[in-house]
Amino acid sequence: MEAVLHGFNAITLFIAAIVVVSVLSTIFSFRAGAPILLVFLGVGFLAGEDGIGRVDFDDAEVAFKVGSIALALILFDSGFGTPLRSFRAAAAPAITLATVGVLLTTALFALAARALLPLDWGQALLLGAILASTDAAAVFFLLRAGGIHLRDRVRSTLEVESGSNDPMAIFLTIALVGALSAASAGWSWTDALLEFARQMGLGLAFGWVGGHIVRQAVNRLPLEIGLYPVLVAALAIAGFALTNLAGGSGFLAVYVAGLLAAGERIRHANELKRFQQGLTWLAQIAMFVTLGLLATPSEFPAVLLPGVLLGLFLVFVARPLAVGLCLLPFRMSWQENLFVGFVGLRGAVSILLAILPLMAALPDARLLFNIAFIAVLVSLVVQGWGLAPVARALHLVVPERHGAIDRIQLDLPDEAAHELVAYRLAADSPLIAERRMPRWVRPALVVRDGRSIRSMRVERLRAGDVIYVFVRPHRIPLLDRLVASPRAPDKSDREFFGDFAVDLDVPVADLADFYGGDVHADKRGLSVRHFLEREFGDAVEVGDRIGLGAIELIVREVDERQRVVEAGLAVTPRG
Amino acid sequence: MHIADLLTPARVVADVRATSKKRLLEQLANLLDDGESADTERAIYDSLVKRERLGSTGLSHGVAIPHGRSAAIQRASGAFVRLADPVDFGAIDGQPVDLVFALVVPEHFTDQHLMFLAELAETFSDSAMLARLRAARDAQHLFELLTRAPERTAAA
Repeated sequence: MEAVLHGFNAITLFIAAIVVVSVLSTIFSFRAGAPILLVFLGVGFLAGEDGIGRVDFDDAEVAFKVGSIALALILFDSGFGTPLRSFRAAAAPAITLATVGVLLTTALFALAARALLPLDWGQALLLGAILASTDAAAVFFLLRAGGIHLRDRVRSTLEVESGSNDPMAIFLTIALVGALSAASAGWSWTDALLEFARQMGLGLAFGWVGGHIVRQAVNRLPLEIGLYPVLVAALAIAGFALTNLAGGSGFLAVYVAGLLAAGERIRHANELKRFQQGLTWLAQIAMFVTLGLLATPSEFPAVLLPGVLLGLFLVFVARPLAVGLCLLPFRMSWQENLFVGFVGLRGAVSILLAILPLMAALPDARLLFNIAFIAVLVSLVVQGWGLAPVARALHLVVPERHGAIDRIQLDLPDEAAHELVAYRLAADSPLIAERRMPRWVRPALVVRDGRSIRSMRVERLRAGDVIYVFVRPHRIPLLDRLVASPRAPDKSDREFFGDFAVDLDVPVADLADFYGGDVHADKRGLSVRHFLEREFGDAVEVGDRIGLGAIELIVREVDERQRVVEAGLAVTPRG
Repeated sequence: MHIADLLTPARVVADVRATSKKRLLEQLANLLDDGESADTERAIYDSLVKRERLGSTGLSHGVAIPHGRSAAIQRASGAFVRLADPVDFGAIDGQPVDLVFALVVPEHFTDQHLMFLAELAETFSDSAMLARLRAARDAQHLFELLTRAPERTAAA
């Protein structure tokens, strides 16, 4: 018994120590700018048979299982973190890249692999498929944490692509492994296409249903707050396994489920995001370290040259070419096109897929694995380090806006969605120049020189102040501009003053009925003027706004006696 | 959901002559109903007028976006006219308008209504776009500019 416990404790210590070392290595990674995933792989190498840990881990099947669950969690989280709005904006180019792009990359890569290595066409294509998908975790991390501010559409395209191309590459690899190992046993193109349709169809369907179940569960069940994230993670994994059991693509299902579960708004979003963030980190560490352990770096030198050449070919030829062709119909600028081509980081998914030939005991499986591994390393090094300089060289780095430094979503009762948003004021902020600001912008709290001051006691805001504002989420972009843009909005500014002018004497009920939505019964009889006066009284100011059914009314101009003389109407739908 | 989904070449007309706001709205209603029936045309006209009573839909810089919801129609549609001579539309900046986009949606299209309006307002607040529309040779050219607009703004 003692011996059993001793072994157990030793293993526990080892695993925990690896996680601790991985986490601490992120500090080094941030300092050195080294791609963090590379560092995790390095930890795996060090612990492995050729490193200081001397762990001889060679169980491809266990590595694949650990990696699959980890990937499922990562994909769920990446879906969850993608706002539906970004998804819609980027869906067409991203999904083209995730499907046609994956096929093109596979084919192009196979040409080079066949030329450089003693492989037949089947093996070359298999290697192409293994390396065809970009790594969601790697791309997300670089784009979000890299301090690179891209135009929304480009960023969303990359993020959605990296989340949605894994199922395609996984399918392709499994299909090719099947074709090669059966090597005739009834494999046919029609079967493969049917299988593809079934996997993706079921994946989408299960993901759709699963996303709604997660959403409803979180929004309706009365649980202890700490249990929601646990429930969500468990549902995600259950959905993944169930979809696979039913013959669908579990990876596609979890991504779709994550996307739909978060939707426009879900309760406890902060708790869910934080928990999933942690889980994703853990999943990445588990995945990369396991894969690092599985590899045998001492075998690499033998195939180093072709591996590096193929990695460079992937980074500089296959991917940019495939991207260029896929994005032709989408009117992106050539700089954006090049950049999307460059940000095709390969990562754990490729290594994970390289395990499949090993498990199927295909001839040359070890060679394929080692080549894939080296190509991934090349991609991580070149693209991971090169991302920021390339973005700058292509002039794609949008100057950082003085956006919010923190956003906290509050779960208030009655669907009154508000967020607490914090800004640090720059010297050129319009809020400093303007003596008057719309009431909804007024900070709830000002922190100056490390002391918090209630905002009514602040005579004037100064540069360096940190302000906290309670605001409805749909107004945050506007707030960003008010706080950060160097000039105050002028009168033709739609976002600030609304789209249309509105007659002050018409009954608000008519307006609300015209555009849809409800107004409280005791306000229905009021004119726009009285409605605004009753709401804001003598303290009414330009820029004050208030919802009316589906639209918003905005005070455009106030005379010296504090009476509204002009009002506008905003139709911008609220997210 | 783009402007392109709302328009047909037949509903984009260049160099229209209209003597008053009322006449202009009648002509727009006529374009919008695609020759369905006099009743539909009347219903569309009424919905546009009903909205104008709540405040002019004239934006600044010579643009107006009259719009309405009507139970008489089944699908959202739009019509665009460029006027030969600007017409007073009661716009906020007092300028007469010469570029007019009319939108009607079915009664239950509350959200889509607002989304289309937001997109139209966005498109027509772009001064480069207005210059292009005013310089366009003919209706065909106008149609191309308008239906290409969403991609263009998205990629700008």
